[in-house]
This record gives sequence, C-alpha cells and structure tokens, in this order.
Amino acid sequence: MLTYTQQFVRWLFHFYSKQCLSIKNTDTKTIANLKKTGASRWTHCRKRGADGNLRKCHEVEEPGKSSQSSRRQESFTTPESEGPVSRVKNWGDEVEAEEMRSNVRRDMHRYRRRILEADFPQRDRKISSGSSDSRDSRDSKESPAKGDIETDENTLIRRQKQINYGKNTLAYDRYIKEVPKHMRQPGVHPKTPNKFKKYSRRSWDQQIKLWRVKLHAWDPPAEEGSDLQQIEEIDLGEIMDFELDVECSADTESQCPTSSGASLSLAEAFKWSLSLVV
Amino acid sequence: MENSSKEEYKIQSFDLETQKLLKTALKDPGSVDLEKVSNVIVDQSLEDQIFSREAGRICYTIVQAEAKQTNGNVFRRNLLNRLQQAFKAREETRKRSTQEWVCLVSFICNIFDYLKVNNMPMMALVQPVYDCLFRLAQSDALQNEEEVDCLVLQLHRIGDQLEKMNMQLMDELFSLLRDGFLLQEDLSSMGRLLLLEILEFRAGGWSLSETAQKYYYSEVTD
Repeated sequence: MLTYTQQFVRWLFHFYSKQCLSIKNTDTKTIANLKKTGASRWTHCRKRGADGNLRKCHEVEEPGKSSQSSRRQESFTTPESEGPVSRVKNWGDEVEAEEMRSNVRRDMHRYRRRILEADFPQRDRKISSGSSDSRDSRDSKESPAKGDIETDENTLIRRQKQINYGKNTLAYDRYIKEVPKHMRQPGVHPKTPNKFKKYSRRSWDQQIKLWRVKLHAWDPPAEEGSDLQQIEEIDLGEIMDFELDVECSADTESQCPTSSGASLSLAEAFKWSLSLVV
Repeated sequence: MENSSKEEYKIQSFDLETQKLLKTALKDPGSVDLEKVSNVIVDQSLEDQIFSREAGRICYTIVQAEAKQTNGNVFRRNLLNRLQQAFKAREETRKRSTQEWVCLVSFICNIFDYLKVNNMPMMALVQPVYDCLFRLAQSDALQNEEEVDCLVLQLHRIGDQLEKMNMQLMDELFSLLRDGFLLQEDLSSMGRLLLLEILEFRAGGWSLSETAQKYYYSEVTD
C-alpha cells in the first residue's frame, strides 16, 4: 500500500508526462501566451505539417469569444497567429511591445559600454550596481569579443521575456533581498543568464530552466492548507522539454529526500519531483 | 497639500469619493482597482473639456507609481485600450456631439504628450493622433470654430513632437491647413485667424516671433 506521498508523486509524474508531451516544441512566445491564458489551455501541435516542414505552433482562440487573456472588443478579427497581428492591433499590447524593444536597446547600449570598460579596466573604479542581467563583462575568460554579442532584437526580446518571468516571482524577490550581489557565490547562488551572449536556442533555454529551478529554493514557505494550491499554480508553460533522463546536474535539492525513509511533507515531495521533472 | 494636488492634477471636477480614489491610486496603486481608476479617468476626459486637456499628467504619475510598486501596467493597458475604443468610435462621436469629439481629441493628444515610454513618445499613438488632426482639417470641421480651436491647441502643444515622429504627415496636414485658409470661403474670421497663427507658428520652427506674438496675443487698443 503506497503512502499518500508516493501516490501523489506517481500522479504528478503521470500528470506532467501527459501535459508536457503535448507542449513539446512549443516555442516561447506561445508559452508566454499560454501563461497568460492559464494552464488550462493547451495547444496540441504537431511538430511537422503535412509537407514535412517544421510548423510553428499557433495559439488557438475561438473567434468571437472573449478569452480570459485578451480584453479585445467584438470588432476585432481573430488573429491568425500568436498575439495581436498587424491588421488590428491592441494599443495596450503595442505599447508594451514598444517598451520591451526600447528597454532591450537601452540594455544593449549599456552592455556595450560595459564591455568597452572591461577592455580598459580602471582598477580603482567600481562598476555601479544598477539592476542589470548582464554584469559579467569583467570576466575576461567569458567576455565576448567585441563583435560577438547577440544583437538580433527578436532574440533579445524573447530572452528578456523569459528572464522577466523568472524575475517576476516571489522566489526571486526573496532571493535578491536575502543575498546581495556582492555576496553571491558562483555555483551556489542562481545567476541570471546573460542575454547578450551568443548561445544556441537549446543552450539558452536550458540555462533559463536551470536558473529557475535554482530560484525555487527561495520559494515562500508553504503552509499546510495551501499545498494543493501550490500544485495547481505550477506553470507548466515554463517547461520547455521534458526528458525522463534528467540532464541537469544533481543540485543538492534534487537528491531524493525519501532515501532516509522518513515521510515527506507534501511540499517537499512536490519540490523534489518538480526538480526531477525539469 | 490637499489643494495642491487637486490643482496640479485638475481633479476638482470629480466628486469627493472619486478624488479620494485617485489620490490613493497616486500613492498606493497596488491597493486600488486600477482598471476602475482608468475607466473613471477616461469617462471624465471624454466629457469634461478642462480635464481632457490635463488628464495626461495624472495618468503618467499613476503609470509610474504602478510600475515602481508592483512592476505592473494594468492601468496603462486598460487606459490605452479604452482610448482605442473611443478612437474607433470617433466619427459617431463627432456626429453626436462636437464637444465630446473635441474632448476625445484633446485627451488622446494629452496622453501622447505625457505618457512616454523610456522618454520617447508612444509610437502606437502617432498615426491615431494624426488621424484626428487630419479629420479636424477637413472642410466641414474647419467651418466650426470649436474644432479649429481644438486643432490649433493640439498643434501648439505637440506639433513639434509629432513632426519629429513623422515629417511627411505633418507636411500634408499643413498643406490642408494652408488650402483651407486660402480657399475655403465659409470660414469665420476667428477661424481664419487661428489658422494663420498656426501656419506662422510652424513656419517659425514651432514658436512665434515677437512681432507675431504681439499681433496675435496683445490687446487691441481702440
């Protein structure tokens, strides 16, 4: 007879594997839209169309229906692809997109300046700690050659969105309050991936995944009654690839805590299985 | 303290309860229903001439406050979407009531003026603003002093910014204004005066020479 915990963990795996397979290969923008609409809407995409070419996944919205995510009026035509399309744009979305674009450009200027400073280091000068995701230009081993940074705006915007999701969590808030930047130890403390470095898509997505898993260590403590709620709130949209043989290195968190034989609280079991799954 | 914020944001025309809501939104945006706040502001702006010309400032402050406190932009998003709805319905609004139409134009332009994104004007609003101004430059609108007055007010306030965003459209607009001034017979003399002034204003690089200032704005002694 399985304990509740074991039953629960089994169920969790089953649930994840069902859901994750259906969103395999969904790109991040759709994931972003999925996030907006809530975990209940899943696009069932086939990776390739009938002609054999890779397909982009569409977010399917029912025409004429006002969904939870978009507050568009009746007169809007259903967009054919993810998000608002050029035909009829929603000013709220447009301005947000503008803002993201100009933020990314501003970040790029700052980053370029910082790289130049790194090339001509001034020893007694402290680089001020403004909030920024890309602060490692000083490390000459990792520092990209001058021309070798990611400049494609769409890529940068996509990456920034992923970073924003991570930063927009209670865990992140608690983390930055608890550990100031100068106290961070590499390897131990999560570090935001640098969106300006050249990485393959897979590599970047993996870094984001690992970063977010690490951040979970700072999740607010769960109360007894709210454990089930926590489960519902998992945003499965964050999971890009589901692979049963886990690639990520075993952080201390992901060691299975049941080895001691002691019974787990639901929250601990949950955290453990989450880290295994991603 | 109370009065100065009333003055600054021109919220005297709201009832007291709403004024309180607005003040709370300014200080503690996370604690209020920002969608409601934006609706309240939009509704008032579409009716109240004075507020429609000044609403931008309070909107900007609330947007900043919300971004800082909760990193959200519920207020701005709802504001813009309501604005977009009103913009879409502008022709009906104009038919129904010149005053409401004029309020709408003033409000959109004021939002364009104040709600900047990283210190840049919102690109999404450039075409809509021009659309409104072009509408005001049509012959049926030029006949109407209220509309000409609205048109020149907006050009005084945001003309230079609009021109930077799109020089060609501004040239086209002024072409219409020039034509209207010269060729349209049913303009009132005040309408004509307003048009002449704005033509000179732009020709002077969006400012009026001293002599022109004297001509248009000093009291005429009999």
